[in-house]
Amino acid sequence: MSFPRSVTRADEKLGAILAEVKRLRGRLNSLAIQRALFGALASIIAAVALIFAAAYLLSPLAFVLAAAAIAICAVVICVRAIGSGWAMLSSASKAAEIADYRASLKGRLTTVVQMASRRHRGSLWPYVLEDALSYRDDFAASRIERRRIERSLWALLASSLIAALLIPLARSHRRLERAHPGPPAEITMNLNDLHLRPADPGDADAPEVQADAATMQKLQAKLAREGYGAGAGAAQNGIVDRARKIASDVQSKLRGDTRQKPRLTLKLADSGEDRATTPGGGDWAMNHPEQQSPPAGQFEPQHGDEGRDMPMLPTDNSTPRDQLAQHVGGPGGVQAPSAGGSNAQDLSATPQDTADASSSQGSGGGPSHGVGADPDSLFGAASNSKMGNEGFEISIQARPIEHGAKGTGQAYMPPKVRTPLNHDQHPDEPIARATVPASDRTTIQRVFER
Amino acid sequence: MSELQAADTLTVADFARTFRRVQAEIHKVIIGHEQAVEELLCALFAGGHVLIEGVPGTGKTTLVKTLGMALNLSFNRVQFTVDLMPADITGTRVILSDGDGRREFTFQPGPIFCHILLGDEINRATPKTQSALLEAMAELQVTVSGTTYPLPPPYFVMATLNPIEMEGTYPLPEAQLDRFLFKVRLDFPDQEQLVRIISSTTGPEEAGVAPVFGQADAAAQVEALKRLVREVLAPPAMEQYAARIVRATQPENSRYVGGGSAAQHDEMVNRYVMFGSSPRGAQALILGAKVRALLDGRANLAREDIDAVAVPSLAHRIMLNYAAHSDAIEAAQVVERVIKSVHAART
Repeated sequence: MSFPRSVTRADEKLGAILAEVKRLRGRLNSLAIQRALFGALASIIAAVALIFAAAYLLSPLAFVLAAAAIAICAVVICVRAIGSGWAMLSSASKAAEIADYRASLKGRLTTVVQMASRRHRGSLWPYVLEDALSYRDDFAASRIERRRIERSLWALLASSLIAALLIPLARSHRRLERAHPGPPAEITMNLNDLHLRPADPGDADAPEVQADAATMQKLQAKLAREGYGAGAGAAQNGIVDRARKIASDVQSKLRGDTRQKPRLTLKLADSGEDRATTPGGGDWAMNHPEQQSPPAGQFEPQHGDEGRDMPMLPTDNSTPRDQLAQHVGGPGGVQAPSAGGSNAQDLSATPQDTADASSSQGSGGGPSHGVGADPDSLFGAASNSKMGNEGFEISIQARPIEHGAKGTGQAYMPPKVRTPLNHDQHPDEPIARATVPASDRTTIQRVFER
Repeated sequence: MSELQAADTLTVADFARTFRRVQAEIHKVIIGHEQAVEELLCALFAGGHVLIEGVPGTGKTTLVKTLGMALNLSFNRVQFTVDLMPADITGTRVILSDGDGRREFTFQPGPIFCHILLGDEINRATPKTQSALLEAMAELQVTVSGTTYPLPPPYFVMATLNPIEMEGTYPLPEAQLDRFLFKVRLDFPDQEQLVRIISSTTGPEEAGVAPVFGQADAAAQVEALKRLVREVLAPPAMEQYAARIVRATQPENSRYVGGGSAAQHDEMVNRYVMFGSSPRGAQALILGAKVRALLDGRANLAREDIDAVAVPSLAHRIMLNYAAHSDAIEAAQVVERVIKSVHAART
């Protein structure tokens, strides 16, 4: 069976036009899929990198919030990228429309593609085919759409680059943090000088509290008075605490933390009176376990400052709580009472104040000399032993200053204040804790009890 | 190229050539008004009728007469007045006596029986007389005393409106306005055109119009060209585009159309339009666009063709509200805004 020549030629022309449109459609759809794929991958990679970095750089609560925000943004961007790619997918008709628009073909291709399936196309159909085919060079797939790779590849590359830079940066930041000498390993404070609150679950930076049984009971009672006990408030925060705990676990896993970070030890002593009511007063001491502790009322520089002859002393307005805030402050740190209106950042001190503090509270040397308020804990071994055999640990929310807002990774170095001593004063020398002879203990104890 | 294709190509080319020849003949007499003449011929070959609006003296009657002469078709003119009766247009049965002295009722055709009818100042006649044109325009036939008389194809009605003397006039009913394919506006000529009009009409010689078609086959030629227009391919995308435009002329609160998902309701339409275009507007868009496509040497529709005929096709079908009149908003502005909003929605 033979067909009329014109019909055969018309079919050939139609086939040639449709084949070109099919090629164009393939290229457009390839770009659409690339757009969806690259966009989604870019958002996922960027989100993972940001979450990973947040795990290194942020506290658990901040990490939870940041991770949630990043995840939501990533999902939105991902969905939009996929939706955009989906919208770009072309049918043959749409591809013809695009070709018509880009090559200014005035609807020739659209007409051919949309009318091709119709049975009755009219007497002008061969003319339409001939007319459309005369523009074949103009609607070649390579001319209508030159790109084979979608532009969203740049987004993917950019997010990969960000990930490649951000993750090592966060890791190096962490390594620097670990390599840096830590804060004072131990701080001894009067219980009544502190406003304490339990640390957030999972906050590995919070210090450990050590105290004897009696002091610990007082601490618990104080916490209960201040609303931090296991009451209704704690139950209300259960979900948040749980989230923090989970976030901390996730952070640890992301960081690859296997060993416990050394924590600051806060040793509590009980003076038997509420120091918070006596502004400007209070006993305090900070010790390095590897160093001899300074006399009471003096500040011992932290990092190899043995050669420095001018100790830092608190001022009238600088209470021991301020000094503690200086050392263990920061977001959510120990809340020092506002007695005396002191500013924790102000470390300018005078020897006179120190003398007052020393005379009122007494002082002893040694790493756990206390503040002289608890005669029972005056005498201990010369080694770095913990206070009391029955002492136990609770966490309070506090963190060393080098983790503070500045984020420099350097420990806080107090400024030097060179105040000349008068003729009655002598530079304080660290007194090493020594074993007190049994015969002198009663006498010393009486002095302190007075 | 096969013979069939060559013939089709020739036909498409012939259409444009014939169109341009008629246009050129008209412009021997009519100075300026290029767009109006083109729209007039578009409507003629699309098989529609035209409503011409213009102030007195702008050449409305001359234009129609010249068109009839260029096409070599019969031409009648009816001056519509307030006392004009329908029978004065359609014709009536009168008693005539034959050679034997017998008297009988014989139908005496009115001026409506011609190829090209000019209804001058149609808004001066009563609605009853205006309505006498409805059947003729829509169905190309006239019914008198129960007898239907077909009108000779091609049949083309051109009615003129005088926009400045509105006292004692009867605005055309919507149903009759809707039967005009295009509304063409004749603007006042500019300085140069006016000078040319003066010089060409006040001299001893009158410009002559050479008929494009022969007397015998003029009607057949015009009908063939009209059939060719109908053969132009309108893909579904173009039909949808025209439908979107027409739907977009309807305000959002229209109880006759409703707010479908395919309709874009422009704020200007919502504010100023009382009723949008009828479905005849979409037909006018497609038919007018087909003529434009043929003039461009194509046998397929494009959006540009539809956009080009949107204002003359739709402006007279849109009823504006009082807010539009108070803000001096014209229907043509609304149509242009609709086109823009439909384009914006596509992109």
